[in-house]
Amino acid sequence: MRPLVLAAALLAPAAAHADTPPVPVFADETAASGLTHTFAGEWTFMVGGGAAVFDCSGDLMPEVFLAGGTAPAQLFLNRSTPGGALAFAPAPDRGLDIDAVSGAWPLDVDGDGITDLALLRVGPDRLMRGLGDCRFRDASAEWGFDGLDFWSTAFAATWLPGGDWPVLAVGTYIDRMQEAFPWGNCTPNQLYYPAPGGGYQAPVALTPGFCALSILFTDWNRSGAVSLRVSNDREYYKGGQEQLWHVPADGGAPALYTEAEGWSRLRIWGMGIAQADVTGDGFPDYYLTSMADNKFQVLADPGAEGGPKPRYADQAFKRGITAHRPHAGSDLRPSTAWHAEFSDVNLDGLVDLFVVKGNVWDMPDFAQQDPNNLLLQGADGVFTEGSVAAGVASFAQGRGGAAVDLNADGMPDLIAVNRNAPSEVWRNTGGPGIGNWLSLRLSMPAGNRDAIGAIVELRPEGGVLQTREIVVGGGHGGGHLGWQGFGLGAAAAAEVRVIWPGGAAGPWQGLTAGRHWLLTPGAAPAEVSP
Amino acid sequence: MRDLRWIAGMAMVVCLAATPLRAGDGAVSMENWYRLILELVRHTPTYSPPVAARAFAYTGIIAHEAQVGGPGPGVTLAGQLHELTAPPARDPAATYDEGVVVNAAMTAAVRTYFSNTGPTGQRAMDAMEKALAGQMAEGVDPAVLARSLAYGEAVAAHVIAWSATDGGAVVENLGFPYEYELTPGPAHWVPTSTVAVQQFPLLPDWGKTRTFAMPEATTCRLPPPPEYSEDPGSQFYKEAKEVYDTVRSLTPEQAAIARFWSDDPMLSSTPPGHWIFVAATELKLEGADAPRWALVMARLGIAVADSFIGCWHDKYEYDLVRPVTYIQRVIDPKWQPILITPPFPEYPSGHSTQSGAAAVVLATDFGADHAFIDTTHGDEGMDPRPFASFEEAAQNAGISRLYGGIHFRSAIELGLEQGRCIGAFAAALRMSE
Repeated sequence: MRPLVLAAALLAPAAAHADTPPVPVFADETAASGLTHTFAGEWTFMVGGGAAVFDCSGDLMPEVFLAGGTAPAQLFLNRSTPGGALAFAPAPDRGLDIDAVSGAWPLDVDGDGITDLALLRVGPDRLMRGLGDCRFRDASAEWGFDGLDFWSTAFAATWLPGGDWPVLAVGTYIDRMQEAFPWGNCTPNQLYYPAPGGGYQAPVALTPGFCALSILFTDWNRSGAVSLRVSNDREYYKGGQEQLWHVPADGGAPALYTEAEGWSRLRIWGMGIAQADVTGDGFPDYYLTSMADNKFQVLADPGAEGGPKPRYADQAFKRGITAHRPHAGSDLRPSTAWHAEFSDVNLDGLVDLFVVKGNVWDMPDFAQQDPNNLLLQGADGVFTEGSVAAGVASFAQGRGGAAVDLNADGMPDLIAVNRNAPSEVWRNTGGPGIGNWLSLRLSMPAGNRDAIGAIVELRPEGGVLQTREIVVGGGHGGGHLGWQGFGLGAAAAAEVRVIWPGGAAGPWQGLTAGRHWLLTPGAAPAEVSP
Repeated sequence: MRDLRWIAGMAMVVCLAATPLRAGDGAVSMENWYRLILELVRHTPTYSPPVAARAFAYTGIIAHEAQVGGPGPGVTLAGQLHELTAPPARDPAATYDEGVVVNAAMTAAVRTYFSNTGPTGQRAMDAMEKALAGQMAEGVDPAVLARSLAYGEAVAAHVIAWSATDGGAVVENLGFPYEYELTPGPAHWVPTSTVAVQQFPLLPDWGKTRTFAMPEATTCRLPPPPEYSEDPGSQFYKEAKEVYDTVRSLTPEQAAIARFWSDDPMLSSTPPGHWIFVAATELKLEGADAPRWALVMARLGIAVADSFIGCWHDKYEYDLVRPVTYIQRVIDPKWQPILITPPFPEYPSGHSTQSGAAAVVLATDFGADHAFIDTTHGDEGMDPRPFASFEEAAQNAGISRLYGGIHFRSAIELGLEQGRCIGAFAAALRMSE
């Protein structure tokens, strides 16, 4: 009997594909679009570098705000034409050219219907109030938001039941004053509860902090209550691990999930969280970026008597998404992954996975030439690498990113924010086998305007149910707010239901593909045109 | 007595964190560099246990050789370690500052053997180098300073050149081969996790690395493990059943022992780093001078490095299946160990081998009945553990692998024996007058 040769296992997914998912063709429109930007910096900006994507001009084509590190952050107004080439215009006069920004997330903090921005910085964080017309003003003091003086690296927000203002969570990294022995000097994460009548109370320190690089409020067990998932960088903590916090709805003291509750210890170089229900069991699954192998966590026993416990099985290997080494080029050293995001880039009704990669900074154990991944899900739940064929396999030192429709054509485009190198943007031009789409925006009349925490259920005609929780947080360094794209495959329509924050389930409603739909509680879907 | 020693041990941790830098004190240089390199090992993925042990060995040898010919009693290891030739000689007519010499040598050693660390480690090395170089140079005549710096660096360069030829200098892909042929058959190792880079075993050729004091990698070769069998009456099955039953009925104390000696790479300073920490604690407690620091660290480094060479040779010769694989296949498909099963063959236990060797050399340098308090994992929140001797600690380290569910008893008991055999060669080195 010949010895078993497993070399191919290093580069191939664990299971063979039943079929090959269509590969969309992307056009690199970085230069042509005018998105001229670099996230710059050395040690304190070796992490961060996020993209916040949101529509502040009301034309369905979102603006892009990019962290700058030592350079000022930049807002780019979206001047694309619907379905056409991407075009951006820098807007340095809108109040956002702020330095030391590591990340940014859009959200409507004060519920006035205008998107605001949470800016994470190496230094005091800021809440920037949207004034309309894509103009912003620092409202930190006005809202009682004490941004503290940490190396901030992660952000999430949610609305507790009955709350008009969101609870904000800020993840922090290393005590940057510890030059010779930074290890074991992770600073605490911070939780900002709203103050009665608006604004914020003094932050509550979430201790222990284990150097968070991504955090996410998530309804992990679909109980209707959110918990806070924290992905931590084991490079710097001692005695640390990944964390899941109870966040009491009454604003009481948060508490960590324990082993007795089913939480099992995991220690990785946690850098980014992407959430989606890939398994179709109705519960969110989590892709956790790291160095070398990345993790894909699914509930180990979703049908457990008495409800699931937060115990997860890693299916990254099984599904071909370990993404542990470069899939292209000659550098075979292990990879370093940062921003990750599930998005159905080929609109076949199955979410795909975009992973932005890049060496931390001269780490010789890891690949210097580390291309991004675009992992396309097949019908059997196994993913295959498609970034070279799609044209998005950048070798730059990636950090943040976004997979979001930038030109209102229903196809997710891609952004990668690179450290000390130009950021990149690719337009999804479709291609053979690309499916139909449907775009949704959830809207509530007050408070939680963007229905953060809502669950969208979408069932294409003849297709499988898709479930998505609307969140602010996760990723690495940034996220996007607003329109949610869904792939429908060959279906010309889909049934959609929203379980709104608070748990009220809306009716199933039939929606035609290829359109943008505004969904409001108690109202019929309204079509919106670019 | 133990309580007092524990307090002193904990105080050492605090003291190292803020050691007042005294001009000319080479011991302070060594204390601080060793504190840093334990962190670098913990935070740099290159440092699997064999690789870390090698780095510890050469660093200690450099520190020792740099001080030979100085006022201390040191005797060179040239001629005693394989292929190590005499380092550059001092000018007998010239004056040297011993603190500057040892600090220059340590700086070069750390810069070489821990260079794979990332930006934060590089930054920390810069900060340490700047602080120590400044303090060591304080008040030293410029000519003496230049001469001492040059000498320390020259000795380091000599050892570094020697180390480049040992076969272990280049570690790629975190030590995992890009291609490998698994040995067919149920008796042999197969991957135990779904971590992609660990589908092939760690450092399969490490047993070919040049040894330090041990004559050959096979000098302390072990007999084969119990013959593989799935027969419930077989010795192999009985050992597997012991692991299975033990883990299923683990006491809190056994679980604590398993975790205390877990020493996982990238989550700790690794098993050899555990013993380096123990030695550093004891040296600090006794107020050792720099030559004593170097002697202890060199001998200990050599012992654990040789251990991994000998152990790894046998691991890949016998290529034995891990308990988790066998137990899930033969006894209980749902069984899980409490520790992470290391990604390489089972027999013998690496921690046992190197702990057996460490106990021998530390007994040589501190005494066979030297009691100590092990505070290695205090900053991870683990309680300190007292031991009446290094041998008792080594046995505790060995049995921890059974409690953790990652080794059979034979791998532990024979691993300790192998370590004692290997450690004897390091213990026999003549390192001082």
